Amino acid sequence: MPHAPFIIASFAVTGVFMTWLIVSSYLSMRRAEASADALREQS
Amino acid sequence: MKPKHQRLLLALIAVVALVSAGLIAASALREEASYFYTPTTLAAANVPPGKAIRLGGMVQKGSIVRAADGVSITFIVQDQERSQKVAYRGITPDLFVEGSGVVADGRLRPDRVFVAESLLAKHDENYVPKELADIDMTAAENTQNTVSQ
Amino acid sequence: MHRFANPARFLRIAKPLTPALFWLGLLLTLIACIWGLFFTPTERLMGDTVKILFVHVPSAWLGMGGWTGIAIASIVQLVWRHPLAGVAARAIAVPGATFAAICLITGSIWGRPTWGTWWVWDGRLTSMLVLFFLYLGYIALSNASSEKGDTSRVAAVFGVIGAVNIPIINRSVVWWESQHQKASITLGGSSIDTAYLVPLFIAVVGFSLLFGALVLMRMRTALAEMRIEARMRRMAQG
Repeated sequence: MPHAPFIIASFAVTGVFMTWLIVSSYLSMRRAEASADALREQS
Repeated sequence: MKPKHQRLLLALIAVVALVSAGLIAASALREEASYFYTPTTLAAANVPPGKAIRLGGMVQKGSIVRAADGVSITFIVQDQERSQKVAYRGITPDLFVEGSGVVADGRLRPDRVFVAESLLAKHDENYVPKELADIDMTAAENTQNTVSQ
Repeated sequence: MHRFANPARFLRIAKPLTPALFWLGLLLTLIACIWGLFFTPTERLMGDTVKILFVHVPSAWLGMGGWTGIAIASIVQLVWRHPLAGVAARAIAVPGATFAAICLITGSIWGRPTWGTWWVWDGRLTSMLVLFFLYLGYIALSNASSEKGDTSRVAAVFGVIGAVNIPIINRSVVWWESQHQKASITLGGSSIDTAYLVPLFIAVVGFSLLFGALVLMRMRTALAEMRIEARMRRMAQG
């Protein structure tokens, strides 16, 4: 059985899942902190 | 949906997830025990030919015979006391080598040869680079030769 | 411990710590992956598929470590009423579940060429799948409960009870006749050759630092959302 597809698939799954996790966590943090700061400026 | 109902629904989902996780685990482990044989228990159990069972043990050293067609093999599975001949057609897993652990799903033929439909090979806890393993093997063979001489 | 109870003080530490953990973690993870993929020798029996080790093992470690973190934070929340502990426990849940999923998927991909099957219901694989379901249950529960009060305690209790599964996963290969091999790395030493052990160690450290950065990001998100909520409430009253 050729091994390359299995190795590539494992690293691809890991890469995609971790990228999604990092990007979504970062974006929601930026959004939440920005709107919290904006609210504080307002009042 | 009211927030309260939503909370209730989600709590319910959590409970269902927990219970089904437990059930999966329990049934998986029980099923495993009911039709698993080693060569010794298989010899004692008098299993009728054609009944689907699972056979586990070690691949006897030097017993793997590959047929000319390239996909059929026979080998002997052994435990401490007995051994059982197995026939299989198909691609064997990478870890299927002489001396390794193997689990085969299949049926007994009337001539008491076990015909495997699938093979599972086991890994031990060692991770060794190929070159190192080759060196070890040669070293071991050399010592053996010296001893026998 | 209550030194960090004050969210403002926590944020003063967390804000510079997040990028530091993230970039160092990313660097180590990339080094480990490149090392593992291109500069490790072929394994004696499984050949090149041994390279899957470098993503599978760190993910398993974080999947289990994540729940251990949830359990500890939940105990702190329940016993000391520490205001940040609940936030921390919730922040761990989604990353923990993701790494448990990565562990299950890469393990399945690894099993096909080496064992000869995508999946078997043995003790290790089943208990790891149970861990993934526990994460889903915990996420559902903590989303359902509000940040404060009794409902958040239900999730905390679930987090503590679910921790029973962690030693089961760890011992599963010893207790049951299992398809998965026994532990390669124990307190007594390692049966993994140094050629694999060094990049594996780097991968575990790198993944863990990234995990830390993720948890901090998600805690900061939760704290900012709590600030927004509190301010909205005050504005509505005033």
